[in-house]
Amino acid sequence: MSRNPEDPVYNRIEAARLAMGLTRQELADKAGVHYQTIGYLEREEYSPSLVLALRISKVLDQEVSDLFSLSPIRKEK
Amino acid sequence: MPKNNKIYWFEGVTEKGTKALLNDENPKFNWLRPQRNRRILVVAIWIGIILVAMGSYWPTLKTNLSLSSGVDVIVYSVTAIFVILVVVGGYSLLRVSVRSIADAPDELLDERQIQVRDTSFRYAYYLMGYIVIALMLLMLFGPEVQMFQPEGNDGSYLVIATLFAFASMPSMVLAWREKDI
Repeated sequence: MSRNPEDPVYNRIEAARLAMGLTRQELADKAGVHYQTIGYLEREEYSPSLVLALRISKVLDQEVSDLFSLSPIRKEK
Repeated sequence: MPKNNKIYWFEGVTEKGTKALLNDENPKFNWLRPQRNRRILVVAIWIGIILVAMGSYWPTLKTNLSLSSGVDVIVYSVTAIFVILVVVGGYSLLRVSVRSIADAPDELLDERQIQVRDTSFRYAYYLMGYIVIALMLLMLFGPEVQMFQPEGNDGSYLVIATLFAFASMPSMVLAWREKDI
């Protein structure tokens, strides 16, 4: 489910999370959300609020603009 | 000192109970997570609700079916036991299947869960509108029902079924619509 399915927010949360060696549950606990919500975000099926985007960026030690984008992000393998 | 278990009287949930469901603390309910199983549960509960509603028309129904006096008691009793099991048990399982998200207060949910819960209430509201219209048509054109009468069709079953549908509709919408819950 997205805030606006017509205008999705792309992200590289999964890559940044794996780079830090965090599980979805650990990231969820640090960001104060349910682990299913991290799954929805990583699948780009849900677009976060600004507050949640800022919280996740802080946990993953990234700039919001590096982590989230309005255009598709090329995923690193 | 252990923290008290906060009771949300208005929502009908407890803090510990809701958190336990949200955090998968009881793995024996994991079979309820797949959407297919949740949808089967919703269908079973709807069958139960319809059977409860049909209780209002039992006197007419048994006359039309020409059931003898012994058989009608057996049919009524077996159906009543089945309905109680499906409706009461199904309602409990339904709340577990959607992690009580439909009943939980904002402070126990994250922003996506709040959005999902609110959407389910919106759809539940629409659906209840259609159910009320169906009930009005049934009252106008269906067999006559009266309230709290010793003889004839008793409308209280219809009222119970409607109240139960009202109570469980947001959870049913959630269980039906959401891919992952």
